[in-house]
Amino acid sequence: MSSDTVINVSQLCKKFVSFKKEPGIVGSLKSFFVRNPIEKIAVNNFELKIKKGEIIGLLGPNGAGKTTLMKMFTGIVVPTSGELSILGYQPWQRDKQFRKKIALVMGQKSQLWWDIPAMDSFTLLQKYYEIPEDKFNERISHMSEILEVKDLLHIHVRKLSLGERMKLELMASLLHDPDVIFLDEPTIGLDLVAQENIRNFIKEYHARTGCTIIITSHYMADVQALCERLVLIMGGKKGFDGPIHEFEKVLGNEKTLSFSFSTEQNPEAEIWKNYYPEWDEKNRSVELRVPEEELRDLSMKVLQNLPVTDFATEKLPIERVMKTLMENPELLKERSND
Amino acid sequence: MTNFLKWWQTVKISWVKHTAYRLNFFLQIIGPSLVFFFVKYNLWTSIFEQSATKVIQGYTLDQMLSYHAWAFIISLVAQGHGSWNLSEDIRLGRISSYLIYPFNFWEFHTASFISFQGIQILIAGVTLLFFSYISIISSFSFEVLLTGFTFTLLVSIFWFLTQYFTGLLAFWLEETWILRVMLQIVSVFLSGAIIPLELYPEWFVKILNFTPFPYLSYYPIQIMMGRDVSLVSGVVIICSWIVGLIFINKFIWRRGLRLYTAAGM
Repeated sequence: MSSDTVINVSQLCKKFVSFKKEPGIVGSLKSFFVRNPIEKIAVNNFELKIKKGEIIGLLGPNGAGKTTLMKMFTGIVVPTSGELSILGYQPWQRDKQFRKKIALVMGQKSQLWWDIPAMDSFTLLQKYYEIPEDKFNERISHMSEILEVKDLLHIHVRKLSLGERMKLELMASLLHDPDVIFLDEPTIGLDLVAQENIRNFIKEYHARTGCTIIITSHYMADVQALCERLVLIMGGKKGFDGPIHEFEKVLGNEKTLSFSFSTEQNPEAEIWKNYYPEWDEKNRSVELRVPEEELRDLSMKVLQNLPVTDFATEKLPIERVMKTLMENPELLKERSND
Repeated sequence: MTNFLKWWQTVKISWVKHTAYRLNFFLQIIGPSLVFFFVKYNLWTSIFEQSATKVIQGYTLDQMLSYHAWAFIISLVAQGHGSWNLSEDIRLGRISSYLIYPFNFWEFHTASFISFQGIQILIAGVTLLFFSYISIISSFSFEVLLTGFTFTLLVSIFWFLTQYFTGLLAFWLEETWILRVMLQIVSVFLSGAIIPLELYPEWFVKILNFTPFPYLSYYPIQIMMGRDVSLVSGVVIICSWIVGLIFINKFIWRRGLRLYTAAGM
């Protein structure tokens, strides 16, 4: 392992065993005597290397194994087999030094103590992580200023809104200046402004500290804004690993181009023929799939010859790629067979 | 020093948490014991009224009432703590946060237990003053009180570890509350909390003395009432159970964690 490799994963597997239970009281009684185990392979022969300072987006549909991976990375669950080393530690051994170097933020689960103000939780964490008083105060004032939560520090956490709480969760997990940060859906359930605030904060924090960040999210805007590299996991296996601009082209180098017109158009016209047009009911707007190299010429042609009122290329190409892959996972297999 | 600060801060936070919902706390912790005490008070008063003799197995009515008053006070300290949330935390995957902090799960729960005991001791103290004021509990010496209190604290550690044990079983079982209710009921009968152990067959009490049950209520009550009990054997037996439970808990925690799925994370 080279010195700047922070996360090293090789042939990692995790198998969960659960028991089948039929509904109702009879089902409960039955399952008490006869238990039918169901094995589920959540992560299968996973390989990954992450260098210091990278921000990785870990993507995949629900149940693909993202969260299981995060749980293994942070030492919460024990891998069934394979190798896993983070900062030179084996997470599942839960060495105290290891725990001091990582942080986990879970968008779906609060880590702050519900019945006390966030500041009390922070003070507790200061003791747990042995953060010197001056550093602690400096980080609190700096982060609370950027996140605009200065007034919320002394309010009971249960009385805060989801967005406010998320900001404080982020603060809580960054107080000890971790080397590796795991963010599991940090923007889930937040409004657009709050999402952007969180995103900007993470971006700024990363630029300032050079820490390594692994982020999972279903919002492609998060991924697009933060990550340089994407890792796709589907059915417990790695489907893609590479720079974000390559992911955009994983299904070919086509871009989506859309036009709106002031008058009705002829869908059968020659100009649309090669671009898989999808028209609206009134034939006044169209979406085309255009090879990247033809994008410029086609746009010019349409703009010059037709009454265009609006046109756009897609903002989030990875969203389309993600959606297509989720609906047709076999595309990924075909690609890897090529 | 840094370790002490971690513990101290956790104790302080837990104190705030315990007292955040005062009414709830009272209803959940003090309420049942108080109701139980009044039931026993009425029960024994009417038994003595119906009875031809004034003494039942060496207890007069006053002594019997004082026995149950002590039982109430001791139960506050010895058996007050229940790790109610522990199994739920495991089942719903809430222990994940504690697995990440550089402060262990057992340390967190033990600190929480310590702060809880702080509150319970305060309440027990007030109750003691009240009972002596209305003369249900007659005079006691400071020395006896100190011995009885220390023994009760030892018992409370045993009880905490037992609760912790049943809580940890949530790694395997979906619901553990039924286990805890069963344990509670068995311990109420076998600890002498309802009927003093003198009223049980002698051979049965002899066996019972090797189990932890008599030390939960009967033994500390006897100490507090200034009666003659073998303190050394009591301490040895309870300490053995404590050491045994520490090992068992450590073992099942390690085994359980391998099964932990952190549901919903």
